[in-house]
Amino acid sequence: MSRAVRTRTMKAERRGSAVRSGVVLALILIGVLLPVYWMVLTSIKPNSELYDAKSIMVVHHPTATHYVDLFATTDFARQLVNSFVVATSATVITVVVGTLGAYSIAHLRYRGRSTAAAGIFFAYLVPPTLLLIPLYTVFAQLDILNRWAGLILAYLTLTVPFCTWMLRGYLQNVPWELEEAAMVDGCGRLRALRSVVLPLIAPGLTAGALFSFTLAWNEYLYAFVFTNKSTAATAPVGLASLVLGDVFLWGQIMAGAVVTAIPILLIYLFGQRFVVGGLTAGAVKG
Amino acid sequence: MTDESQLSVLSSVGAARRAHRRQSPRRRREAVLGYAFLAPVTLVLLALLGYPLVKALIMSLHRQYVGFDVAPFVGLRNYVDIVHDPTYWHAFQNTIVFTVASVVLKLGLGLLTAIVLNREFRGRGLARSVVLIPWALPTVVTVLVWSWMYNDSFGLVNHLLSGLHLAKPHSWLGDPSTAMPAVVVVDVWRGFPFFALILLAGLQGIPEELYEVASIDGAGRWRQFRYVTWPGIATVALVVTLLSTIWTLNEFSLIWVLTQGGPGDATTVLSVLTFKAAFLGNKLSYGVAVSATLLPIVVLLILALVRAVNRREATT
Repeated sequence: MSRAVRTRTMKAERRGSAVRSGVVLALILIGVLLPVYWMVLTSIKPNSELYDAKSIMVVHHPTATHYVDLFATTDFARQLVNSFVVATSATVITVVVGTLGAYSIAHLRYRGRSTAAAGIFFAYLVPPTLLLIPLYTVFAQLDILNRWAGLILAYLTLTVPFCTWMLRGYLQNVPWELEEAAMVDGCGRLRALRSVVLPLIAPGLTAGALFSFTLAWNEYLYAFVFTNKSTAATAPVGLASLVLGDVFLWGQIMAGAVVTAIPILLIYLFGQRFVVGGLTAGAVKG
Repeated sequence: MTDESQLSVLSSVGAARRAHRRQSPRRRREAVLGYAFLAPVTLVLLALLGYPLVKALIMSLHRQYVGFDVAPFVGLRNYVDIVHDPTYWHAFQNTIVFTVASVVLKLGLGLLTAIVLNREFRGRGLARSVVLIPWALPTVVTVLVWSWMYNDSFGLVNHLLSGLHLAKPHSWLGDPSTAMPAVVVVDVWRGFPFFALILLAGLQGIPEELYEVASIDGAGRWRQFRYVTWPGIATVALVVTLLSTIWTLNEFSLIWVLTQGGPGDATTVLSVLTFKAAFLGNKLSYGVAVSATLLPIVVLLILALVRAVNRREATT
C-alpha cells in the first residue's frame, strides 16, 4: 500500500499508465466475471423473468426451482456421483504412479532414464482425438464402456504424464543432501523417500492431485464417447446432453453448470497457491 | 515396496550390464529401484498411450466399420480418400483458422493481463484468482454459459451489444459467417488465463534493476518493453504458445458442444470431422486416418517445444 502510494506521488509520469492499466484490468475482470455472474443469475431466475428481455441483468424473485427440477427430473445426481468416483480414483492412482515415476526419472541413475523422461513428455502432448477411436474399440472388447473402469483408464492417459512431469519439476529442486544425510544416518532409501523427500515436495503432491482431479472432473470427449447411457455419464456429459437435446431448459442447464463448477472453483480458490506453483513447474520448467 | 513381478521383469534387462554394475552394489540397487519405480508409469503409458497410438496407425490402414469384426487391409487408401475429400480440406482450413486466430488472441490478451497484473496494488492476489476462473471452469460449463449468452432473443451478448449500439441483435452461432469468430471468442475467454499466469511468472523473474538502468538510459515505456520485458519472457512465451497451439489444434469439446461443427460445416475442425466420420458415419478407420493427418504437425510442434524448453533450462 505505502509503496503504491509512493509510486504514485513520486513518479508523476507513471500516474497516467497506472490509471490506464487499472482500467484495462477492470475491463478484463468484468469480462471474466460477467459470464459467471450471468450463469448464477440465470440459475435462480424464474422462467417468467428468464425469457423477458427487460430483466436481463437482475432477478426479482429468486427461486431454487431449477435446481430442484434438475435433480428431480434428470440423472444429474447419479452423474455427479460418477464424476466424483472416476475423478477421485484417477487422482489417487495418478499421484502414486506419478510420484514413483517422477522420483525415478528425476533422481535415480540408470540406463534409459532420459528416454523414459522424453516418453513421458511426449505422452503429455499426444492428442486425445487420436487415442479416442482405438481406445473405444479396446474398451468395447473389454466390455468396459459405460463403466467407471473405462473412464478411469482413459483419464490416466491425461493425468499420469502431466502429473509425473510436474512432480519431476518439483523433485529437481529438492536439496538431495538431506536425503543423503538421512541415508548416512542409517535410513534406507525408501524410508528417506517417505520421511525426507515426500514432505519436501508436499506442495507438488497437492498440486498434482488438484490438477489430476480437475482434468478428470472437467473432461468431456472420452466420457461422451465411452458412455451412451444417461446413468453411466459424467456430469459434463449429462449437462451437455441437455443442450444437445430438443428443448432448451436454460434455467436447469445453468443450475447444473453452477453445481458442476462449484468443486473446481473451491479447489482453485483455496488451493491457488499450489495451482500457480504447479502450473509454472509443469509447463515452464519442465 | 518393490514387488516381485516388477523385479523379475527387470532381471531381463541384460546380463552384460549386470557384470558392469556388480562393481558397485549401491549403484546396482539404485538402478533396480529406478526401474521398479518407473514400471507403473511405463505400464500406463505403454498400455494406454503407446498401444492405442500404434493401433490407431494400423487401423488407419484398414477399412473398419462399427459393429464389423472384419477389417480388410487397404493400405494407404484412407489417406488417398482424404486427400480427395473436399470436406477434409474444408475442416483442415477451419482448424488452421481456429488455431491461429485463437492462439494469437490468447497470447495478446494473456500478455496484456500479465503486464497489468505485474504491478503492485491492493487486491492483486484476488484479481489473479479471478483471472484464473475461466481456465479452471469445466469446458462444458463455459460452453453452455456462452451458448446461452449467444442466444438470439434472450442472450446477454445481443443485449449488451445493442444496448451499447455496437451491433444489431444477431444469431452469432447460427450465421455461418460469424460462427467461427464466435467460437474463437469462447476459446480465447477460456484460454487466455493460462497465458497470463505463465507470462506473469516470467515477468516476475525479470530483475527490477534492468528497468531502472533502461529508464536512466532514457528508454521510454515502449523501448523498455522491447529491450527488457520481451527478451525476458520471449522463451516462456514461445513455450506457452507452442503448448497452446498443440491443444488448440486438437480442440473438440468446446466446438462440439457449442455448434456441433455447424452451421453446415462452418466450424467443423478436424477433431469434429474425426468424431463425425467415426461415430456418426460409422467409418472408424477413416476417422482415425483424419486425426492421424495432424500427427506430423503435432510432432513438429513437440520437437520445437523440446528445443525451447531446453533453451530455457540452459539459461536459468
